[in-house]
Amino acid sequence: MIAIQNLHFAYRKKPVFTGLSLQLQPGHIYGLLGKNGTGKSTLLRNIAGLLFPDKGKIEVLGFTPGKREPSFLQEIFMVPEEFYLPDVPLWHLVQHHAPFYPKFNKAQFEKYIAEFEVPAGSTLQNMSYGQKKKVLISFGLASNASMLLMDEPTNGLDIMSKSQFRKVMAGALDENKCIVISTHQVKDLENLIDRVTIIDEGKILFDQTIGAISRKLSFQISFDSEEVKNALYSESSLRGAAIITTNTEGEESKLDLELLYKAIVLNGAAVTSVFKD
Amino acid sequence: MNQLFDAGRWWLLVGKHWSENRKKYTLSLIAIAGLLLFWFIVILAVDGHRGIGTTMQSTTYYFGLFVVGCLYASILFADLGSKTRGLNYLVVPASHLEKLCCSLFYAVILFFACYTAIFYIVDVLVLKTANAIGYSYWAKHHLPTDIFEPQKIVNVFYLPEHSRSDNDLIYLLMTYFVVQSVFILGSIYFAKFSFIKTVIASLLIGLLITFIVGKLIIPILPPGSYHNGMNSYQAYTVKDTPSGDGIMIYSDAATDKLVSLPGWINTILLFLLKFAFAPLFWLAAYFRLKEKEI
Repeated sequence: MIAIQNLHFAYRKKPVFTGLSLQLQPGHIYGLLGKNGTGKSTLLRNIAGLLFPDKGKIEVLGFTPGKREPSFLQEIFMVPEEFYLPDVPLWHLVQHHAPFYPKFNKAQFEKYIAEFEVPAGSTLQNMSYGQKKKVLISFGLASNASMLLMDEPTNGLDIMSKSQFRKVMAGALDENKCIVISTHQVKDLENLIDRVTIIDEGKILFDQTIGAISRKLSFQISFDSEEVKNALYSESSLRGAAIITTNTEGEESKLDLELLYKAIVLNGAAVTSVFKD
Repeated sequence: MNQLFDAGRWWLLVGKHWSENRKKYTLSLIAIAGLLLFWFIVILAVDGHRGIGTTMQSTTYYFGLFVVGCLYASILFADLGSKTRGLNYLVVPASHLEKLCCSLFYAVILFFACYTAIFYIVDVLVLKTANAIGYSYWAKHHLPTDIFEPQKIVNVFYLPEHSRSDNDLIYLLMTYFVVQSVFILGSIYFAKFSFIKTVIASLLIGLLITFIVGKLIIPILPPGSYHNGMNSYQAYTVKDTPSGDGIMIYSDAATDKLVSLPGWINTILLFLLKFAFAPLFWLAAYFRLKEKEI
């Protein structure tokens, strides 16, 4: 669905990607994790055809994104971190924007709006930032575009809204859709994504499915100093040390995405070595 | 699916643009009508006995058309200057050509039609009122046998009193479309302060052309001057002074040489001005839009 080969991209003289390659398949929700300024948004904008690679090739659904052909644009929907929605009533948005997306489903849109508890009769002008964001997410999901790119979608959402977001997203995926969620708030994506891609300094540090992570790694709290010492990564807390070890028992533990992220960034070589065999 | 242009998709864009901008456009048209009305009232108040002549009417029309038309053109792609708005604009599933044609439809066709309609509505209203007031004043000071001559409503595309075989106002109108197309291109090129930057860029290009003409072309021409526009050049007579220590340059119809460009070159230049320059700038805008990154 998305094939990125040897992507090179720079903002003027500041290189962001120097040879990034990545494959994304339909039927998955990808979590694109990384620190601020590591190139997550730049990658999404390259995929959406808003930025053009300096070198390398990006192919999305058989299209070259940079050409921004209508057939491509109606199969891709982007929810940017900072976004603009015109000051029109909600029904205007459906009447004038939805026809551009042939697979747009009005009933679905209304369902998502209801789930997000957005007042349907209101104009976008009178909505809060969070409500507008929920409208945009609902519209993106209801567009049924094959490719949904979300950049920090939970920024600006309150605790309840984040929970609603996870619920809505979990029910939105089907085998033809590919959803990429970029965030640095890794906790927000727990139990939602099925593949973790960690990007740092313009490079893919880690790219594994949740299933593979659960099979290979074990996440636990330990009071055993020897176990903590031998762990792939450890972090002390008030209730013992949170550790990541190689899963030798075959028992699946609850994935701590934040801990995994820190482990990859701070001790990536040790963690990734587990996945090599 | 046609990736370059689809009439249905273009019409959707037109509808979307209207739904998002109708308040702004309606208020702007009311403001234009208000300004025209205010201007005509000022003229009548200052110089009421002479009324508003056809020259003043057409001058007002073209001044407003150039100023407002170019201001509007310079904000046509202002969305591209904002990251959030630009992104929203570029991801709309329509081709670059459809997006450009939608903007041209509003800025070139619809604005021109609306501005002309508003001008005439205000013009007719003001002249009818001015003529009625003028007649009542005139009737008190003239004999019933005298004939009152009301102010006429101008045809802004044709001035009979200045008519030639080729009507100059059509060229003025076409020049407007060329100038407006420059501002449309400027609105894509310059993210911020597009109007001012386009004016500055146009001035710089104008200065460059003047410099090239003044420093490179004129020195290689013989002493003389352009004759009857820019189509022909009158080379003055050059003779040695009687003392033989210098030269004399003077104009003498008998000995001056007149070099004229062939008529077809003039025809082509006029054709370019009328029909080609504006589309060329629109084409440049299309390619600029295609390569726009956000």
